[in-house]
Amino acid sequence: MTAQLMEVKGLSKSFGTMKAVKSIDFSIQEGRCVALLGPNGAGKTTTIRMLTGLLAPTAGEVSFRSLAPGEDRRALIGYLPQTPAFHNWMSGMEYVVYAGRLCGLGVSEAKNRAKELLERVGLADAAKRKLGGYSGGMKQRLGLAQALVHQPKLLVMDEPVSALDPLGRREVLRLLKELKSETTVLFSTHVLHDAEELCDDVVIIRSGEVALQGSLASIRSQHRQPVIELKLDEDNTRGMDWARAFVQRTNSGEASYSWLSEAELRGNRLHLTAAHMDQARQALLEELARHSVPFSRLEVGYSSLEDLFMKVVGE
Amino acid sequence: MNGANEVYRGTHRGAEAPRSATRSSGGAVFLTLLGKECLELLRSFKLIWVPIVFAVLGIMQPVLSYYMPIIIEKAGNMPEGTVIEIPAPMGSQVLADTLSQFGVMGILILALACMGIVSGERNSGASALVLVKPVSYASYILSKWLSIMLLSWGSLLLGYGAAWYYTWLLIEYVDVVPFLLSFVLYGLWFSFVLTVTLLFSTALRSAAGAAFTSLGAAILLTVLAGLIPKYMAWSPGALTGLAYQAATSPGWLQMEPASWWAVITALIAIAALLAASVVLLKRAPARD
Ligand SMILES: Nc1ncnc2c1ncn2[C@@H]1O[C@H](COP(=O)(O)OP(=O)(O)OP(=O)(O)O)[C@@H](O)[C@H]1O
Ligand SMILES: [Mg+2]
Repeated sequence: MTAQLMEVKGLSKSFGTMKAVKSIDFSIQEGRCVALLGPNGAGKTTTIRMLTGLLAPTAGEVSFRSLAPGEDRRALIGYLPQTPAFHNWMSGMEYVVYAGRLCGLGVSEAKNRAKELLERVGLADAAKRKLGGYSGGMKQRLGLAQALVHQPKLLVMDEPVSALDPLGRREVLRLLKELKSETTVLFSTHVLHDAEELCDDVVIIRSGEVALQGSLASIRSQHRQPVIELKLDEDNTRGMDWARAFVQRTNSGEASYSWLSEAELRGNRLHLTAAHMDQARQALLEELARHSVPFSRLEVGYSSLEDLFMKVVGE
Repeated sequence: MNGANEVYRGTHRGAEAPRSATRSSGGAVFLTLLGKECLELLRSFKLIWVPIVFAVLGIMQPVLSYYMPIIIEKAGNMPEGTVIEIPAPMGSQVLADTLSQFGVMGILILALACMGIVSGERNSGASALVLVKPVSYASYILSKWLSIMLLSWGSLLLGYGAAWYYTWLLIEYVDVVPFLLSFVLYGLWFSFVLTVTLLFSTALRSAAGAAFTSLGAAILLTVLAGLIPKYMAWSPGALTGLAYQAATSPGWLQMEPASWWAVITALIAIAALLAASVVLLKRAPARD
């Protein structure tokens, strides 16, 4: 299952002078679950709309390996938009059958498939109700059902869980966990936690550019850095003075410690990113003892993916 | 959930091999789209109230013409002994008057009914979900166009047929040939105007904008054809005048070459407007 399904090369989009997506490259392997991760306005929706063919790119291309010449790429894709909109006068059942017919299913095939999918997304009881009366969460689940109706090779979802309450979110996440073993999945999110829970690969984008990409496991191991957090006694001015002086010394380059790569003071917490864990621990303890710094807690650990994400996205 | 899961995988494996065999043709997709448009017309009651309005307009004209002398006699405070001589209307004239009623009220109602046919779905995002499926842009536009044609030709036939029948009952029998010929010419004019509405519904965000632009174009063309008939006889705007002539002339209307051109340019214009709508839709299938 390592065949490449889709490749994106130099994909760009400008709206007037505003460059929403700036030459993005990535590829999706068959059977993987990929998250397009980025903060609001990063260009996730724009990228996804170009992948689905709803938006013409300014430059670059999207290619599918398994696409026979002359075949429509849209036949391979199932798409769930950020806020799906339906024909409100249709019932849930009618809509999924309609979607199936549009994808080329026969009448009875479309009906069976619709029934099965509505059951699967938990809308069996609401199947006969008009879509105008569906709640946001129900619409999201119906959107999922209609996206799956033709068994797409690639399921593309734009923030599938962002608009849901915690319960609906857990429900949809569970559904997605099942789905990712059946088909290739690409979804966008601004929540790292969702990506971590579901995905094999992540593509982190920031203001229209790929900031970081790779498999979650490799990113985790490559970017893991030892960190030390020192909590100082707030009322004790000696400790705080030392900390301020220490940060200033390291940042101004007055004293460079080989074991330290970054120091930052947030309130009464001193955050140190170490270059080498054992050395750092040793050197810091000596430093603390020399100045007899009164601290209340010393924590040694490794940076989380969250720290990395915040760093990559926040820059 | 697990059970359903297995069902999905089971059908998936099964469907993989004969996949292309079970896919139906573009024709089935077109019929699905058309079916959806017709169902929408029905569920929104347009398929009911538009024909009813046309029928009422159609019946009103002969009935009013028939009762007009009596109404005037009853309403007017005429001095005793006044004799009013109102010549009995010609049946064919009543039909022409009916057509001009349709040309104002009828086309207004149809344009209002169809103005949001593309822009509504595009603004809401419903079109995005349809157009990410393997559906051709041309089928999408043509299904909408055909549903408009069914509604407008159907309503016109009902209304004009009712007018013809009541004229026969109350005034006199009008030959079938002038009736049908004027019906077809007027239907063609309606088709032209509503195809303009469809184009503007694809081009503009605002539904009202689409209705009023197309009605404005229709008025402009008719006025031009009336003011400078010599130069505009070939334009679709001349169709309405042609239809009145067809209704009032006994038997087949003797069409001049320029009048044939009005028919031909209308047909060409409809095809061009449809092609332009498809291109516009392709350029931006959906808005955010
Ligand atoms: N049609 C448009 N016209 C002009 N600018 C646009 C358009 N669509 C998107 N943009 C701009 O492009 C940028 C990227 O938008 P996009 O919707 O792709 O972000 P996103 O990552 O999906 O954000 P969110 O998490 O809020 O959904 C934004 O700055 C947005 O203002
Ligand atoms: Mg978005």
